[in-house]
Amino acid sequence: MSESPPPTLVRRGSFAAAAFVLPGIVGLVFLAGWHLAVKVSGSDIFPTPGQVWDGLGELARQGLLFKYIVASLFRVSWGFGLAVLAGVPLGLVLGWFKPAFLALNPFIQILRPISPIAWIPVAILWFGVEDTAPVFLIFLASVFPITVSAMAAVQNMQQVYLRAAQNFGLSGIPLFRRVILPAALPQIITGVRIALGVAWLVVVAAEMIAVNSGLGYLIIDARNAGKRYDLVVAGMVMIGLIGLLLDLLVRRLEKFDEVRWGYGQR
Amino acid sequence: MKFGRTLLFFSFGWLLLITVLHGRLNLRWFEPEKEGGGQAHKFGVGFLPVTCHLTCPVTHFINQEMAGEDLFKPMRFNGWPELKEMFIGRSHEMPASFILAPMAIALREQGVRIKIVYLGHRDGSAVMVHKDSGIFQTTDLKGKRIAVPGRYANQRLIIYRELKKAGMTLDDVTLLEMPPPDMPAALISKAVDAITSGEPFMGQTELDGYGRVLWQAKDVWPGFISCVLAVHEDAIRDQRPAIQQLVNGIAASGKWVDESMEHRMDAAKFVSTNYYNQNPRLLEFVLSKPPDRVTYSRLAPLQKDFEEIETLARETGILEGTAHFRDYVDDSFTAEASAMEAHQFEVTK
Amino acid sequence: MVNANMDTAPIISVNDTWMSFPGKTASQPVHVLERVSCEVQAGEFVCIVGPSGCGKSTLLNIIGGFLHETRGEVTVEGARVTGPDPGRIFVFQENGVFPWLTVEQNIGFGLLSRPAAERFERVNHYIAMVGLTGFEKSYPRELSGGMRQRVEIARALAADARVLYMDEPFGALDFLTRLKMRADLIRIWQAEKKTILFVTHDIEEAVQLADRVLVMTKRPATVAEEVAVNLPRPRDLDSPSYLATRDRIFTIMGMDAHGGGAGA
Repeated sequence: MSESPPPTLVRRGSFAAAAFVLPGIVGLVFLAGWHLAVKVSGSDIFPTPGQVWDGLGELARQGLLFKYIVASLFRVSWGFGLAVLAGVPLGLVLGWFKPAFLALNPFIQILRPISPIAWIPVAILWFGVEDTAPVFLIFLASVFPITVSAMAAVQNMQQVYLRAAQNFGLSGIPLFRRVILPAALPQIITGVRIALGVAWLVVVAAEMIAVNSGLGYLIIDARNAGKRYDLVVAGMVMIGLIGLLLDLLVRRLEKFDEVRWGYGQR
Repeated sequence: MKFGRTLLFFSFGWLLLITVLHGRLNLRWFEPEKEGGGQAHKFGVGFLPVTCHLTCPVTHFINQEMAGEDLFKPMRFNGWPELKEMFIGRSHEMPASFILAPMAIALREQGVRIKIVYLGHRDGSAVMVHKDSGIFQTTDLKGKRIAVPGRYANQRLIIYRELKKAGMTLDDVTLLEMPPPDMPAALISKAVDAITSGEPFMGQTELDGYGRVLWQAKDVWPGFISCVLAVHEDAIRDQRPAIQQLVNGIAASGKWVDESMEHRMDAAKFVSTNYYNQNPRLLEFVLSKPPDRVTYSRLAPLQKDFEEIETLARETGILEGTAHFRDYVDDSFTAEASAMEAHQFEVTK
Repeated sequence: MVNANMDTAPIISVNDTWMSFPGKTASQPVHVLERVSCEVQAGEFVCIVGPSGCGKSTLLNIIGGFLHETRGEVTVEGARVTGPDPGRIFVFQENGVFPWLTVEQNIGFGLLSRPAAERFERVNHYIAMVGLTGFEKSYPRELSGGMRQRVEIARALAADARVLYMDEPFGALDFLTRLKMRADLIRIWQAEKKTILFVTHDIEEAVQLADRVLVMTKRPATVAEEVAVNLPRPRDLDSPSYLATRDRIFTIMGMDAHGGGAGA
């Protein structure tokens, strides 16, 4: 906190190349190990990386790969988007109003550990087997981490910001909008990032319901299709890669000036 | 606030983009409606991608080809629990379904107002062991682990029936419940000693060269029934003509499939491609090796068949025995259906 | 800004004020302030000094409206204090500048109800006054501690506060920055004619800044003595009268330490 020069980022350049080269090497070693393991074990069922690549190619040529990616992203976007819309305001309110926290927190903590898979029967009974049911499951999986992080963000907010705001005569909605929300935002974004990971994680479970598209469906359908474990693994690979992209995307949010203060000096 | 505006702009742009793409690619939006209205107005019929339910897609396909419209909306599921939940929970969307016979009876015992109106198939099940295993007869199963599709699967009953013949009980083996699609992998990795479910998952292990038939259902329990067509009583009352049409279609399709090997191969092709998403070789194999591995001709529900199922199910403890043939079967559709001729239909090549 | 009748009546008046907090057990509350009385005139620069943890921050928070006294009466600008007021801005020990806003957004924070042109003008005026021209678009994390403290002072001044409450605002700064900030604060105070109530544990700082120093005792604290600092500004830190005033306060606090020990 002393008079020091503003921090600058000088380490960038040399690490940028390493950020691609190092994971690339690990990836190649992994693929080689996978290939060898399949060959050595003589397994006829588990596919080699080459077979998975061919499987992906087959799906791409049929136009299914793009269709399925779109279907899964559609369900995750809506389920997760609705979870943000519901979870952030709910969390802010619970973090701010003690009686609301006391009344609702136990129920949130009870609902939170229930796996979305356990909700599948409920989802089918309420929403049938169209897109609504998987959207509902993804919503359920992501709304609690978001709510809890928003709640904790408000409760852990530095009191000095609140006092300064009150000193300037702020209360009610303007206080929420101009001070509580921005002060809680960095921690909320961290929660949202975790929640997006969870939302994408449950896409397989959510698509176990009788939808007929999506990467989760691809995996379940490939199991029905006889010996097509290359497609099962292809589905897993696509889910992993898209998950990585989604995380990189949300990380961009942390770079905005309005929230960068909340992540320490990197 | 730059952050807020950027976020809002991208979120809404993305939601719009992905929704339009999804609608275009997967929901067939922006396409002119087919003549005779979309599928939305038709009632749903649940099925799984197994040969026990083959008449469901065959009927749908032939009807679409011949009449140019959908008779019903086939709804494919991947597992029994989801199918059952949809069937009992949202009967207005899916009033009819192919379902395991003991499961239908059990649901009736539990007060779900459904009736079995027709059979889905006969035979078409087997017990498979690994080709390297030393299991060659029923008594060799002693102390072994056998995978069955579920508590209410008829395959459980066939195991029990065979063990009884050999003077054994279910206590002599370990039964494991497992979704049929996972069974081939379990057998090849020798996680279990034997597997049993409907086709094509048994045939698959044979086709891939590591499974050996211990016995076929048709040889040890001729006329074996695994799955039936069940319908909600409300639908029977309110949509009788449509249900009769469905049952007639199934009867005619079954006869069509059994009419010639050529029809069987045609069915294997169009069902694999359009409904099951499987390699056609698989269905071709189980529908032809041997040709009577699974049959679709004698589909009228008969009291003596169900009484045997009831007895076996009671003895193994999965049914209480409170529902009887007249409670859970409505055979009033049978007479008209059984009089149906095979479809006059050839696949255009 | 300052009413005519305020020339005679004190702008801040603390009358026989007590403050206790709940202790470890309900039956034994912790007495922090006892029988505190003092007054501040409009335009005056008053420092409160006392041993660490004696309750001087508590007193400032009561006057600022963030805490409510257990007994007694605190009147500011002719009315009983019931809560914080936009006309009387608190400058916090732990920097209260909003890190999600730029320097100019922070300084304009209390001015959102004003027309854009006036807001722009005032913000620029105070940015120049605290010497932050060129940093308008910077975020607090890009500034040093002293610069952030100046942002907070500018934010209080821009909002047209009549009274500034400052709670050890320079405590976290290094020695040179602190000296510069003191000079800046006096310059701004002289230009703006504000009333400043300033809490510090640094006696030198108090004597350098204040018209009058309130010396508090150990806990439970009360005002031990008021010391008027009648020295011309800018103050010569080597002059005998400066040193005499400083030593007098040291003596009061030192004696107080002995007396407190004997009295307990």
